[in-house]
Amino acid sequence: MLKFIVKKLLEIVPVLLIISFIVFTLVFVAGDPVALMLPDDATQEDINNLREAMGLNDPFIVQYGNYMLGVLQGDFGDSFRYNTAALPLVLERLPATLELAAASMVIAILIAIPFGIWSATKRNTILDLFVTGTSVVAKAMPNFWLGIMLILIFSVTLGMLPVSGHGTWQHLILPAITLGTGIGAEMTRLVRSSMVDILNQEYVRTAKSKGINRFFVVYKHAFRNSLIPVITITALQISTLVGGALITETVFSWPGLGQLLIQAVNTRDMAIVQASVFVIAILVIVMNLIADMLYRVLDPRIKY
Amino acid sequence: MKSNVILKVEDLHTYFRTSSGDVPSVNGVSFEIKEGETLAIVGESGSGKSVTSLSIMGLIEKPGEIRKGKILFGDVDLAKVSESQYRKLRGNDVAMIFQEPLTSLNPLFTVGNQISESIKLHQGLDKKQAKIKGIEMLKHVGIPRPEKVFDSYPHTLSGGMRQRVMIAIALSCQPKLLIADEPTTALDVTIQAQILDLMRKLSKEEHTAILLITHDLGVVAEMADRVAVMYCGQVVEFGDVYSIFDNPLHPYTQGLLDSTPKFFEENEVLTSIKGTVPTMDNMPKGCKFCPRCPLAFDKCMEAEPQLKQLDNGRQVRCWLIEQEEAIS
Amino acid sequence: MSEQITTVEKEIPYTQVKKQSGAGKILKSLLRSKTGLVGFIIVFIVAFIAIFAPWLAPFDPGAMDVTKILKPPIWIDGSDPAHILGTDNLGRDILSRIIYGSRVSLLVGISAVALAGIIGLIVGLVAGFYGGIVDMILMRLVDSFLAIPNILFALVFLAVFGASVPTLIIVIGVTNWVAYARIVRSEALSIKEREFVKAARSIGVRNPLIIIRHILPNVISSFIVISTLSVASTIILEASLSFLGLGIQPPTISWGGILSDGRDYLATSWWLATLPGLAITITVLGIIFLGDWLRDILDPRSQGRG
Repeated sequence: MLKFIVKKLLEIVPVLLIISFIVFTLVFVAGDPVALMLPDDATQEDINNLREAMGLNDPFIVQYGNYMLGVLQGDFGDSFRYNTAALPLVLERLPATLELAAASMVIAILIAIPFGIWSATKRNTILDLFVTGTSVVAKAMPNFWLGIMLILIFSVTLGMLPVSGHGTWQHLILPAITLGTGIGAEMTRLVRSSMVDILNQEYVRTAKSKGINRFFVVYKHAFRNSLIPVITITALQISTLVGGALITETVFSWPGLGQLLIQAVNTRDMAIVQASVFVIAILVIVMNLIADMLYRVLDPRIKY
Repeated sequence: MKSNVILKVEDLHTYFRTSSGDVPSVNGVSFEIKEGETLAIVGESGSGKSVTSLSIMGLIEKPGEIRKGKILFGDVDLAKVSESQYRKLRGNDVAMIFQEPLTSLNPLFTVGNQISESIKLHQGLDKKQAKIKGIEMLKHVGIPRPEKVFDSYPHTLSGGMRQRVMIAIALSCQPKLLIADEPTTALDVTIQAQILDLMRKLSKEEHTAILLITHDLGVVAEMADRVAVMYCGQVVEFGDVYSIFDNPLHPYTQGLLDSTPKFFEENEVLTSIKGTVPTMDNMPKGCKFCPRCPLAFDKCMEAEPQLKQLDNGRQVRCWLIEQEEAIS
Repeated sequence: MSEQITTVEKEIPYTQVKKQSGAGKILKSLLRSKTGLVGFIIVFIVAFIAIFAPWLAPFDPGAMDVTKILKPPIWIDGSDPAHILGTDNLGRDILSRIIYGSRVSLLVGISAVALAGIIGLIVGLVAGFYGGIVDMILMRLVDSFLAIPNILFALVFLAVFGASVPTLIIVIGVTNWVAYARIVRSEALSIKEREFVKAARSIGVRNPLIIIRHILPNVISSFIVISTLSVASTIILEASLSFLGLGIQPPTISWGGILSDGRDYLATSWWLATLPGLAITITVLGIIFLGDWLRDILDPRSQGRG
């Protein structure tokens, strides 16, 4: 197990290298940030001095090397908007994003497992049609629109929940539903098709032939097996989840990474953009690693 | 042979609903099995033999259903009992083993878990007792180091071992009837013989009746007391194993025998039955075997023969037999 | 799969599909699949609207009319009969704006997917055919793109290059090629090893010919299916970026942009944010239906799945 984790962690290194390279190149191409950092009445000399001081006159490869040295020490440069180091700013916002992502995942699972199983065991009934139909529609809805519709219904019209913000559990409900619905819809489809597959397996028939009741056949023998493909594919959805979180945060003014990042993109605050991309990539990779481990725990056939 | 009838199937019809209408997969099958007896149902795939066995186990699922007929197990008609009553019988009085021992065992649970499950359920034993009984059963079916196998996962065992585990699970509650659906088809030849020996030995000891579903006449010859030959959802010939092998009456049975290699015969010519089993949407009007039958004549194309009772309990569904009788 | 299941399956007879000519067969299958037909009709209508927008739109979508601001749709009291779906905060006709908005959605959706397909094809072929270190580097690149949400990459690109329709198409194209690359690579890997390719190479047939003759036919159906479904996700991505104010910029009209404008008037004029969202949802739903149907007829592996 340990060996497996170490191996997986080592695989992350080239991925992060490539990501850092792409992002750095993009920023390099974008031109220098000096103009944005100095007051409008700065002289050409001021600009040149600052460029020299920041190492912006060095060749690309030297700049990249210096940048990577900084990154290894957790230094992504300073945000010119906040005038402090970028990484702490990003990390400060991380818990709120994780909170939202976790709550959404819980909602997605609470939707997907019962409805997916239910519709698989009652295949081609009206219920199944309803579940599959709803999940396709939910998948087709852009999640920012769903968020706005939820605000319209529950906050503006019914006045039950706050429109935006962060702090209490009431604040969490609408954003979590917004983000959880799309993922939940996709997972429902997955659970359903996986269960349909598994319910046709022979070991399920063996279980039935032992006289085990339907509940145990479905939940003990079929469900655990069906989770294996579900986890594998859900792991691929993690980046969708994180991407969705970025948008959902903006809709609900949720003070997470997404909000910070989108502000940064708008103001071209590249240090924050770079630090965010790194943090998000690591987040996605770690969540994938957890999914991978979970799936190995569930399936005794896989050796480390 | 004792005459206690364990299972009596009468005029069983199992249909599958398809987009082009209801299709009979089992179409009026009747037979009975006595205590300690082995009855083999033989036929090509598509003959309805597996559906017959699943009908008896009550494992036919939509779009299939038992449309007509009785499945008498003792006094109970299995075609009519409730699902909860059925569950008490399944795994307890009637047990089943399947063809593919790899896919018949749940990969995520240990052998012990899967064998104890049945024991705990039907015999009301607790976990500890079930483990003792489970290990005893594994030993009984000839598994070396049963304690270790009990805690293993199925994928770590060989095919033969897995099938032994399946048999141990099936026999763990001393069923009166064991349904074995192609139990050796997926196994190596040497392992096949071992598994057949084991089944024969256990059925002798426990007086378990066996319903053996197979396409392999070699297995039939080795195991069965009586044989039902099925074609297109119907029994076309029925009789004890010796008379079927010595004197097959139906051209289909003859064809099956001619396509099976035999020992002790030199210069043997193996022939195969030409054509394939017809699909349900182009079922011939008369005798269903007629398009493939080397001996077919006019009448075969026009009307379907009935299953005719002959002496010594044999039954045949063929116009040739009817004709012979009419002549004599 | 085991023989057991096949046996049972064989005993449920399937009606044999009669052989028909290609087009007739596709039409028949479309008529049989209800969702496929619905999807086809929706996509057809949206495409029609996008192409003929200038003739279909009752008003100039940019024309403001301060005397008629925030009018509701005609089925609600206080509406203006000329504006079927009402007007926005500047008195612009919502229906006309939604009609014009379809143009950007489809333009960006289709072009970005085409670009992604071309990049994926090239990367996949290069990785699959050359193998070795090239393959390793390209596959790490694929991993990197998988580790980062599409929208995040798009945001970084937009931050650097600024927002415009061509940038958006390039950005989305460049962030969505991974799925194609994987399919083409695995196909190329398996084909490379086959005897006829080795033989063809040994007599000097060039790689491009091998690619055209042997790889394209094998990946084309997967390509069609993935492309269709990616158009759906691309439309959502474009709308999301436009909604965030980082995608399509005014005065170009996009559904995401209309929605973003309407967000400030939720309390008083709910239709502003609701209707463009509905347009996106229906369009995307139609494309998903069409894509699922295409997968059913083109991908033999998915056939018979529930």
